[in-house]
Amino acid sequence: MTATTIMPEARSASATLRRNFWRGVWRVMKRKPSRMAGVVIMAGFAFMGVFGPMFYPEHLPRDTSALYAPPSWAHPFGTDFEGTDVLALVITGSRYVLLTGLVTAVITVVLGAGIGLFAGFRRGRWDSVLMRITDMKLTIPGLPLMLVLSTIWKFTSAIEMGLVLGLLGWGGVARAVRSQTLSLRERGFVEAARGLGLSTPHIIGRELLPSMAPYIAMNMLIAVTGAVYAQVGLFFLGVLPFEANNWGVMLNLAVFGGGALTTTAALPYLLAPLLAILLLTLGIVLVVDAMDEIFNPRLREE
Amino acid sequence: MITGKGITKTFRQRGGMLGAREVPALRGVDFSIEKGGAVSFIGESGCGKTTLGRILAGLESYDSGEIVIDGVPMSSLRPKQRQPHFRRVQLIHQDPYSALNPARTIHQTLDAPLTLRAKQTGRSRSWIDERAEELLGLVGLDPGYVLPRYPHQLSGGMRQRVVIARALTVDPDMLVADEATSMIDVSLRLGILGLLKDLRDRLGVSVLFITHDVATARYIGLDGELYVIYRGQVVERGPVETVISDPVHPYTQSLLSAIPVLHGLEVPGAERVVPTEAIDAAQPDAGCLFAARCPFRTERCTSELPVLGHDGGTLQEHACFHPQRRSVVATPAVAS
Amino acid sequence: MSVTSDKRAPGVRISDLSVVYRTGAGELPAVRGVDLELEPGTITGVVGESGSGKSTLALSMLNAVQPPGRIRSGSVEIDGLGDVVTLGGDDLRKTRGRHVGYVFQAAQNSLNPLKTVGKQLLDLGRSHDVDDLPGLVKEARSLLDRMGLDGARVLDSYQHELSGGMRQRVGIMLALVLNAHVVVLDEPTTALDMITQATILRIIREVHEERGLTTLVITHDLGVVAEIADRLAVMYGGRLVEQGPTREVLGAPKHPYTQGLLQAIPRLVGDIDEARALPGRPPTLGTIPPDGCVFRERCAVRMDVCETGEPPVLTIGPRVVACHTAAGDGEQKETVTTGPTRGEEQA
Ligand SMILES: Nc1ncnc2c1ncn2[C@@H]1O[C@H](COP(=O)(O)OP(=O)(O)OP(=O)(O)O)[C@@H](O)[C@H]1O
Ligand SMILES: Nc1ncnc2c1ncn2[C@@H]1O[C@H](COP(=O)(O)OP(=O)(O)OP(=O)(O)O)[C@@H](O)[C@H]1O
Ligand code: SF4
Ligand code: SF4
Ligand SMILES: [Mg+2]
Ligand SMILES: [Mg+2]
Repeated sequence: MTATTIMPEARSASATLRRNFWRGVWRVMKRKPSRMAGVVIMAGFAFMGVFGPMFYPEHLPRDTSALYAPPSWAHPFGTDFEGTDVLALVITGSRYVLLTGLVTAVITVVLGAGIGLFAGFRRGRWDSVLMRITDMKLTIPGLPLMLVLSTIWKFTSAIEMGLVLGLLGWGGVARAVRSQTLSLRERGFVEAARGLGLSTPHIIGRELLPSMAPYIAMNMLIAVTGAVYAQVGLFFLGVLPFEANNWGVMLNLAVFGGGALTTTAALPYLLAPLLAILLLTLGIVLVVDAMDEIFNPRLREE
Repeated sequence: MITGKGITKTFRQRGGMLGAREVPALRGVDFSIEKGGAVSFIGESGCGKTTLGRILAGLESYDSGEIVIDGVPMSSLRPKQRQPHFRRVQLIHQDPYSALNPARTIHQTLDAPLTLRAKQTGRSRSWIDERAEELLGLVGLDPGYVLPRYPHQLSGGMRQRVVIARALTVDPDMLVADEATSMIDVSLRLGILGLLKDLRDRLGVSVLFITHDVATARYIGLDGELYVIYRGQVVERGPVETVISDPVHPYTQSLLSAIPVLHGLEVPGAERVVPTEAIDAAQPDAGCLFAARCPFRTERCTSELPVLGHDGGTLQEHACFHPQRRSVVATPAVAS
Repeated sequence: MSVTSDKRAPGVRISDLSVVYRTGAGELPAVRGVDLELEPGTITGVVGESGSGKSTLALSMLNAVQPPGRIRSGSVEIDGLGDVVTLGGDDLRKTRGRHVGYVFQAAQNSLNPLKTVGKQLLDLGRSHDVDDLPGLVKEARSLLDRMGLDGARVLDSYQHELSGGMRQRVGIMLALVLNAHVVVLDEPTTALDMITQATILRIIREVHEERGLTTLVITHDLGVVAEIADRLAVMYGGRLVEQGPTREVLGAPKHPYTQGLLQAIPRLVGDIDEARALPGRPPTLGTIPPDGCVFRERCAVRMDVCETGEPPVLTIGPRVVACHTAAGDGEQKETVTTGPTRGEEQA
């Protein structure tokens, strides 16, 4: 009975804490205009990825009278080799790219942080085994493997692509998280938690993880850019099947088909996806700058 | 009551080319602490004070010896079964900055162990919050102010009080305070010392106080015992005031001689024992561990190991073949 | 503890020194209106709690306060050198080492771990255009030998091969080897053992006398100052609240903070029931009150005037006190503010 009367109070305490956290995040973001710009850019991409494709028909209209048209009001970035609007291609192509990035980042971070935390906290045999696996994984060259894989697997869905990139990418995070865990576990508060008899999930989840949150969040954001580069690269190299509205394929066609490096006609076609990638990277870099302050209460509250 | 007999611990350091190097941290230490009692370990850096404290808190293993907690010998239990016993000994870390999780509020910090405690004893949620406030009050903090705050928003002294309150959440029998005041501002040190003494009186918690600052040992309680440790061995042991005012072991005398005198307020002692600097080569293989630095060494000291005892009819125990009282401690200045 | 009046020892006069740090809340003073004279050939000890501005004061002696800090006003006159605050560029760089030797806080950890001590010594010599490098090494070796070390061996050692006490001595050697006659030591014994501390303090005192130095020792440990300093200056919240000959200040402190501090430090002798912690906590840069007495929050004898009125800095013989309670004292030698317990404790 007492429990029921007290529960709301406890919930309200943690709700207050959460409210304070978001208020702190807001304060941190406001400190530098560049951070706000980063957030706006990222929100823009998110919107583009989620809703963008809905504004266009399944098959983008072609204007065969205007191949490689220069930028105009109707086609801000011109058209491609078959007269499709480049902007429409970038927007409809964004979903695949961004979803891949997201899936990769989640897998990289969940696997990397999970394995790193566990190995670092347990030490001993678990640590040796997991780190041996990590090292083996790190020695596998990613690109050649992807080349091999792509001959048997077409990666039609972004989730598959992200899954593979994520499985290839968690090694570095695991190593770094492990070494941080090793040093954190000697810190007084972790030792105190053990001395008080608190459970291992509590220590890992509540004591160690928050201290590594900025680092993990940063890695997550950086993994997004990594994944975008990787898959755009793969498509650019033509390793993966042709699909018109993919940023990498666009680059490929612009360079190899349209000769964007030698003539100016296909230049906008080349620049549009490049610009999108650069803008996304910029947005992420600007936001990463705030991570330390967001997750460190001292810097957040000041 | 907690007793230890012949505790030894040797660390194996993986050295460079020479392979493993053995660092003996404790060489057969005996001790006993009454319920509500106070024991202070003093000695220079690396003598093994922290290692012993950590062993008692169950945070470090030991090579041989026996620890008996409230009549239960730890050797009779399997490692898993020992944990609840060792939990009755709580370590207060030297550094209150690193002892609290910077990402968690004080409320969260106290909540976790109290929740565990409530589960064990079948108490309700409301007890947890009441207990948190009660404990903070006990260590002299205002719960309303402290609970919602992060560690960095508190002063060093307040943080150390929070650490003590957290240790009290599990109703320990003993607190091991490892240099608990050395990182706290000078003007606030006495507050923490007074608190530890107070907890002894009010809760019957015993305190194991580890320090290199001999003077602080007095403030935990004059009824306490002082252990002087040198290179992992107890070389002198007795009531605080006796060991401080009438030390007989040359190492204790060196330690006390080294304490700065507040000229103007105190008059330096008549004698001063200055050990020679440690030179590894001068240390005999057998014999007294302090022989290499001892100004009073004789032939016998280099061949035979002195053991702790009352030789020479001293009030305190000591491990020296030539115990002698020397007035090395300053005395209060008479009003000028 | 006689004052050696060596002709080589220069005097140092710090006048009305203020140093500010730029923070989110604007420029805040870490050192404010400090007047301190280091008489030639003496050891002056500055004691204060963490954040009281000791290191900042010491750095100002070299005009070495780093951004976001800057010296806002005041001067540091060193005999034969002039006002250090106005020096800049190469002149300033030369001054450091040649005229003013500095042993940094945590000198134990400030050696380059990748180079032997000897190599670092040569780097130092080259950066100061020393022509006679063998002579420099010889001088370094004799200094180290003087401090009870095997000079040749230490010069060949890396940082990790030396103990804390040995590193501290290396720090002192590096500060003196270019023949500086003003030496600043910031927390020279923090993190050292009692016995090692005693050794280092003895060495500082001996080297000070032999070489005819003017020495400033910065510490949070009153005992260290009591042991070696001729004069003692007490710092609180960026202010010098009291200064005077060590024995006099410790024997009969005039400022309520000094009195409280002496009561609050654990001591080996005396009645432990007389001991009291100071209430409250030391201020930080952001909480130092902008006007009135910096100590008033914790002062047992504060008056209304302390809230707003800057405490007057009174010179009473060789002593200086900044407190309203001493104001009626004028130039008298007698103490008005008897500490609440000192007298009783000695009875
Ligand atoms: N984890 C470890 N691995 C190897 N050696 C260790 C370890 N912990 C301690 N030692 C060594 O054991 C000895 C005793 O260390 P301990 O920390 O107990 O000393 P201490 O008396 O607490 O010293 P201090 O006053 O510096 O804290 C030292 O020589 C130390 O180097
Ligand atoms: N780089 C800096 N930026 C902002 N504030 C600073 C900086 N350096 C020092 N301070 C502030 O100036 C004040 C004085 O600092 P200082 O280092 O001189 O103190 P201290 O007396 O030497 O303390 P400690 O005993 O901890 O060394 C402190 O409040 C400190 O927070
Ligand atoms: S036994 Fe000998 S060497 Fe050891 S402390 Fe006593 S006199 Fe010194
Ligand atoms: S000026 Fe006032 S508040 Fe400050 S120390 Fe003196 S009496 Fe206390
Ligand atoms: Mg220790
Ligand atoms: Mg400092």
